[in-house]
Amino acid sequence: MTNPQPILRLDRITKRFGGMTAIDDLSFTVRRGSRTALIGPNGAGKTTVFNLVTGAVPVDAGQIFVDGRDLTQMPSRKRVRHGLARSFQNVRLMPHLTAIENVMVGQHCHNGGLFGVLQPVNLWPGNRWRAAARAALCESGLEQYAAATVKNLPYGVQKRLEVVRAMMAQPRLLLLDEPAAGLNSAETEALQVLLGRICSSSDVTLLVVEHDMHFVGALCDAVVVLDFGRKIAEGSPAEVRADPRVQEIYLGTTIAEPVERCHVARSA
Amino acid sequence: MSGYLEGILVLLAVNVVFAYGAFLPVAAGQLNLGLAGFAAIGAYASAYLSNTYAIDPILAILLGGIAAGAVALIVAVPVLRTRGIYLALATFAVGQIVQAALLNLEVVGGAAGYPVTAFIRLPTIAAFAAGVVVLVALLFATRFGIAVTAVHDDERVADLMGLNTRAFQVAAFTLGSVIAGIGGGLYAHHFSFIEAQYFNIGLSITIVLYVLLGGTQTVLGPLLGAAVFTLLPELLRGSANWRYVHFAAAVIILMALRPQGLLTAAQIRRLLGLDRAALSRERAA
Amino acid sequence: MLGQQFINGVMLGSVYAMVAVALTLSIGVLNFLNFSIPGLFMIAGMATWALIHAGVAWPLAILGALAITAAVSLVVERFTWRWLRGAEPFVPLVSSMAFLLLFEHLAIAWWGSEMRVLPSLFAGTDWRVAGFVIGVPQLVGLAVSIASIFGLSLLLKRTSMGRSLRTIAEDSDTALLLGVDVNRLVPVVFALAGLFAALAGVLFALNYRQVQPFMGEAVGLKGISAMIVGGMGSTWGAIAGGLVIGITEVLSVGYVGANFVDIAVFGLLLLILFVRPTGLFAGLPAGRGGI
Repeated sequence: MTNPQPILRLDRITKRFGGMTAIDDLSFTVRRGSRTALIGPNGAGKTTVFNLVTGAVPVDAGQIFVDGRDLTQMPSRKRVRHGLARSFQNVRLMPHLTAIENVMVGQHCHNGGLFGVLQPVNLWPGNRWRAAARAALCESGLEQYAAATVKNLPYGVQKRLEVVRAMMAQPRLLLLDEPAAGLNSAETEALQVLLGRICSSSDVTLLVVEHDMHFVGALCDAVVVLDFGRKIAEGSPAEVRADPRVQEIYLGTTIAEPVERCHVARSA
Repeated sequence: MSGYLEGILVLLAVNVVFAYGAFLPVAAGQLNLGLAGFAAIGAYASAYLSNTYAIDPILAILLGGIAAGAVALIVAVPVLRTRGIYLALATFAVGQIVQAALLNLEVVGGAAGYPVTAFIRLPTIAAFAAGVVVLVALLFATRFGIAVTAVHDDERVADLMGLNTRAFQVAAFTLGSVIAGIGGGLYAHHFSFIEAQYFNIGLSITIVLYVLLGGTQTVLGPLLGAAVFTLLPELLRGSANWRYVHFAAAVIILMALRPQGLLTAAQIRRLLGLDRAALSRERAA
Repeated sequence: MLGQQFINGVMLGSVYAMVAVALTLSIGVLNFLNFSIPGLFMIAGMATWALIHAGVAWPLAILGALAITAAVSLVVERFTWRWLRGAEPFVPLVSSMAFLLLFEHLAIAWWGSEMRVLPSLFAGTDWRVAGFVIGVPQLVGLAVSIASIFGLSLLLKRTSMGRSLRTIAEDSDTALLLGVDVNRLVPVVFALAGLFAALAGVLFALNYRQVQPFMGEAVGLKGISAMIVGGMGSTWGAIAGGLVIGITEVLSVGYVGANFVDIAVFGLLLLILFVRPTGLFAGLPAGRGGI
């Protein structure tokens, strides 16, 4: 299947918060099947891009196309049905649900009608939606946590659970907001294994905001660099690394940053 | 069975029904301070139906619940646009309006109160209460329960996951009002006399307190809260006034010590050994 | 007749305004709807009666009632606020409702549930101006409520503590980052709110000379109404709202039944909450932070 159309196309997007322009006339595309990283210094507008694409905040100007379809005016709730799912910078699982229930929240867009809402997922162990959620946990090596309350789980497990939950929506484009932030090296490795498996077993496209350049280098095959809400470079990781502007504004500051962020994420 | 015991058990069953009426919106993260108003609608509507048209009280009570739910649905759409304190105040105002309207409605006796001819006894009321508990428990074992908790925990994320958060909030609010209306009908048909003054803000508050004390994270919380705080004062005896004092003091102290309520979902899972199994496996790994 | 009722409405409205200020203070700074305030109002009224009844001179009785109520409000702070961080957002509200219940029934246990009548301290001091009767306590009450609300708004605008309080109102996390000692200032909010509720209770007791344990509920409801009409979080809005509610009540009770008044008042409240949640008088965009 060779569909030449990009999975995501931003066309001259602008977003202002008060007097500050967070995203300034930004255009870029994400190639179908790629694993694209969105990088840039703090405040460059990376998370804002995610919020605009998922519809959490409206754009001031420009258009957003997912899979060729204009989603600019679509309410955020309906976008998941057009193949969009995301994870969050600080884990946002539902603290009062168990791990498997959290994963089942991800199924909602495929099982949300009156019949779906009345599915006895917690009553009937063999319910097919529950079984699907359990299978997803199994494949991700998280089965043992299925019945645990998520707020008590280790941070790395929570981060992986969030990815599993997002994948239950069967997205064509998965947005990951700093998936490795706050993880130790073992946890980062487990996450990489999970993402690698997801990429090889489905045709999902990844768009990843990440500060850890090793993680980006190991996972991604394309990079878009933002600064002050504008695109300043894009290309393969090697090309971007070689770009003098990138070296000037971004790579010079990145060495210490992930460590610092790690503590913030932990204490949050 | 002595009349005293039957009276207490009836009160317990009615309180349990009321508690589930308050629980549904709370589970979706909303406080309904107008609950007594919806209970009043159920009480008056069912009493009017069984008095005037000689409908079987059981059917009348169910219809009363539906009447309360219908009013709730009409009100829910504008009311649930408001949030936090505004929502609490808006539901509170709705309850006050219902009470004031009933005081002026001469067809159901106005301020003089309204006698109810048909009479139901403990077994019927207990069956209703058990039915409500079972139905709510079943409902929360479906995807609905997960969705409502998700809306409660993180409305933004629930929305991004494709949940129609408003629809779930309206549904929880309306269903809760149906249950409160049924509770009102049960009350009316056992105590044979209703007056609008009974369905005041104090009743709404007491019921919400039952739910918060029992715990809002599990369907068994309201049952526990209503049971403990209906029966405990009976055991302590003393005048009605001192019961209120004890109840209020218990609420304040419990909320300070255990703001999540007596019973939590995690606790039940721990009791069933689910969390422990997960953790021990994790340690073994 | 109409003019006299207007004057009575202004007097009643000034009591509502003070209760509304107490409520609005804790909503404006803490985003907390404090239902114990009607209870504090009642405690002040009952304590005034009890102290005068016990033979205490009335100026001392007033001071005593104010001090007792402010102290009780600090106890409420511990249980509804300090020890409840991180609970469900409406748990403090519910806990404050329990305090209202507790105060009312403790008052019954202590003083009985019957209506208590205060002696007429200012008999024969009524002024008659152009055919209107104006009681001295009424006039003093109006003056006190306007002066105290004026004082509060000066405190919030001019002093460093006021600035800190407004920072908390904007965003309590930012306030913490800026080094504002939230734990020290929150009791101040509760004490101030308690004082305003107490002033209202004392004025009510002296003006209407009748107190009983449930006196807080009706006044509390009207105070909440006044606060919403004036815009939550706005002190001057609370005065305007209090006067509107007080005058409306006095004028309408004469012509239509009290229950119709309730329907109208709460219907109006719902409408304001839906259409203009910032209140009729508030010029600020949000209820929070607009002290």
